[in-house]
Amino acid sequence: MKRALDGWSLPGGAPGRGNAELGSAQAGGIADLVIRFPLLESAGTEELLARLHGAWQEVLWARRAEELPEVLGRVGNRFLDPEDSLRREALEWLPASARISPEMAREVLDGMARDWTPERLRLLLRSEFPDPSVLDAFRPADPAGRRMAVGPPVQLHLGSGNVPGVTTTSLIRGLMVKSAVLVKPGSGDLILPLLFRRGLEEEDEKLARALAVLYWPGGGPETEAMESGLLSGVRLVVVYGGDDTVATVGRRLAPGARLVAYPHRWSVAAVARELLSPEHRRRSAEAAARAVALFEQRGCVSPQAILVEEGGRGSAREWARELSYRLDELRETLPPPPSELREAAWVQQVRGAAALQASAGGGGELLEGPGVSWTVFYDPGPVRAEGCLGRTIRVHPVSELDGLISHLTPFLPQLQTVALEAPEGRRGELARLLARGGALRITTLEEMPWPPAWWRHDGAGPLAALIRWVDLEGEGPAGG
Amino acid sequence: MTDELRSDLLEVFRSGVGASLPDPVFNALALRAFQRQFHENPVYGAYCRARGATPASVERWEEVPAVPTRAFKELPLVTGDLDEVERVFRTSGTSRGLQGRGSHHVADLQLYDEALLPNFKAHLLPDLERARILALVPDPQRVPESSLGYMVGRGMAAFGDGKGGFFLELEEGVNAEGFSGAVGRAVEDQVPVLLCGTAFAFVHLLDRSPDGGGLPHLPPGSRVMETGGFKGRSRTVSRDDLYGGLEGLVGVPASRIVNEYGMTELLSQFYEPVLLEGEAGAGASRGLRPPPWVRTRILDPVELTPVSPGEPGLLCHFDLANLRSVCHVLTEDLGEAVGEVDFRVLGRSPGAEPRGCSLATEELLRAHEERR
Repeated sequence: MKRALDGWSLPGGAPGRGNAELGSAQAGGIADLVIRFPLLESAGTEELLARLHGAWQEVLWARRAEELPEVLGRVGNRFLDPEDSLRREALEWLPASARISPEMAREVLDGMARDWTPERLRLLLRSEFPDPSVLDAFRPADPAGRRMAVGPPVQLHLGSGNVPGVTTTSLIRGLMVKSAVLVKPGSGDLILPLLFRRGLEEEDEKLARALAVLYWPGGGPETEAMESGLLSGVRLVVVYGGDDTVATVGRRLAPGARLVAYPHRWSVAAVARELLSPEHRRRSAEAAARAVALFEQRGCVSPQAILVEEGGRGSAREWARELSYRLDELRETLPPPPSELREAAWVQQVRGAAALQASAGGGGELLEGPGVSWTVFYDPGPVRAEGCLGRTIRVHPVSELDGLISHLTPFLPQLQTVALEAPEGRRGELARLLARGGALRITTLEEMPWPPAWWRHDGAGPLAALIRWVDLEGEGPAGG
Repeated sequence: MTDELRSDLLEVFRSGVGASLPDPVFNALALRAFQRQFHENPVYGAYCRARGATPASVERWEEVPAVPTRAFKELPLVTGDLDEVERVFRTSGTSRGLQGRGSHHVADLQLYDEALLPNFKAHLLPDLERARILALVPDPQRVPESSLGYMVGRGMAAFGDGKGGFFLELEEGVNAEGFSGAVGRAVEDQVPVLLCGTAFAFVHLLDRSPDGGGLPHLPPGSRVMETGGFKGRSRTVSRDDLYGGLEGLVGVPASRIVNEYGMTELLSQFYEPVLLEGEAGAGASRGLRPPPWVRTRILDPVELTPVSPGEPGLLCHFDLANLRSVCHVLTEDLGEAVGEVDFRVLGRSPGAEPRGCSLATEELLRAHEERR
């Protein structure tokens, strides 16, 4: 049965003369979900932006930055409360709208909403603005003068659809720097921003006026005018997406408007030989299996390859087999969604090519789960930046992790997270090599899927990226 | 030493696309081809053994292990001596291509020629001995690795009137001036034209000549071969719009536009039988027709077993012309059956949107649009 979802939640309802015309779109890859959205004419887009601008002036300017984690966090907490309607509705919609299993929906929501609580949001704010009042007024600056951080009146956030929760994290960041936020989620990440806005309306109706959620399928002729009106009507756009999407959006901004882009990234993992003994092997393989399975490998933090150092008390091949056992266990505890044609087609290609490669000699070994549930290819060949989908992972034996960066060359231009499993004595030095080589985040396999709220997202502070600093001079040295 | 299997296959090809190849005959030829490939293509042989398939155990061509098209990107798949490779054809790649380019090492160009020519003639020139062939595909002299250019070049040599040519430049796209001159000469000479091109080239041509660009309509009896694929390089256009635009531009109606589907990894091609069967082949249900020496199945992508009739699935071809590489090829293309033997290639799912964050999702699934 087809389900229909209204893809908007706007302050004051859908703007425009009378009721805006409704369009509808098939959610990407999901046969039985249709998303409706309003087609705003130019007067409608202008009105929407004007309402948000008004909320910025009337509501956000009157708030202290330190209040915001509290109220936003109260909404975030509701996604963690099993009795709460927001959580219940989220869990009801997520499997169909994001094409994940109900078990995965719970896991993803828990992991994402953990960072939307008052405590975590306070930590995020303080990690970037040790004195958060700098978002409210000029504060003494070092070594002289005073300084204030100002977010733009309205930010437009263009989310992607493959990892639910990312767009909600993004809109929270926007509100925390006291900007009004208009967010266009991808179809696979629509339900959480919609619910978040509803929660905000219930917690703090005034603040909710500074948030608009509006879905439309990007790039179509039907929505071209609306899209252009919104893109050119704001001073800051945050975009998540492929290189083409980022470049296209960049070309359509108003002159002088800023683009904060989170483009494609790769992540990998590395396991040192000291951790290959049977007692360590199981733990690291279990964590790796979860990192591979989470988000169905659609996240930028999802591992694309795992390098395992030879020469320990167990071999890289044994580790790869252990990983396959753990992935197989996850079929029960964290099941994949029903297969999608093109994704299954891709997995079959990878498996067939890997099997042929293994047949050509060189010691490769293909391990695969029933159907297209998971695939591990133990691959002694060079690391290739090819990407993975559908719980498909290559495990490469390497002789020395000290040369890790040279193995990762194909990934380097877009390298993000490296899960580095190494004993303390070696970890620091390896991490320094990785940092110099281009990694943006070094973590453990357990933490790999869940960067904390305050992480320097792709190398920069996620709140600092949204503000401009204003200097007030001519008042003598700070604190003088 | 005579190669009986090769002789038998040449005989099948020479019988043309109208001859029938009953299943037992096809099966026997397929098993002989499998036996050869199993023994003379060591990598493929090992791959089959790992799957428990040997000439002794396999009784039906469907049981012969298929290799994925992606395997052509990994290593040369040659049956027989690698030194005998006469030409390497490569899939087109773009700078963003993630997986390198597929290579088909062809060790017997004659087998290729003899498989492609009767198919080309039957579907594109069923009523003519010769035609003026104008091509908006890569020139085989300049791009010898393009299997599409090679195919059209062979067709031009065999059935062209000697006054046709290639009008696609590598970087600039369509050589509009040269093409316009050639069309003008064909009109002067009043000879039917076979215009061969990629959808990409036609869109380029249409974009440059939105009002017809002063191009005269082609002489009566002309026809178009259109081969799909936009390769992410151009705006994509619906088939109806493309064919409507072509009719406006060169005066060839949709009922005389033949869609061709081919891939570097297969030496045989598939055509919509619109000229071969007239009205019957040009209806709404038009599908692609394999020649008798190819069998195409639509497989469930998870189980790799045939789907129920009418269901979409992966196209998997057994092409006897691939004797010197691997005959059984699993593609990434989605398709559905049209009648007993024909099939339709399905485009991308409507409403598919860019999925960001991880490079994998968006770009990997796009990669297989780049076919040849």
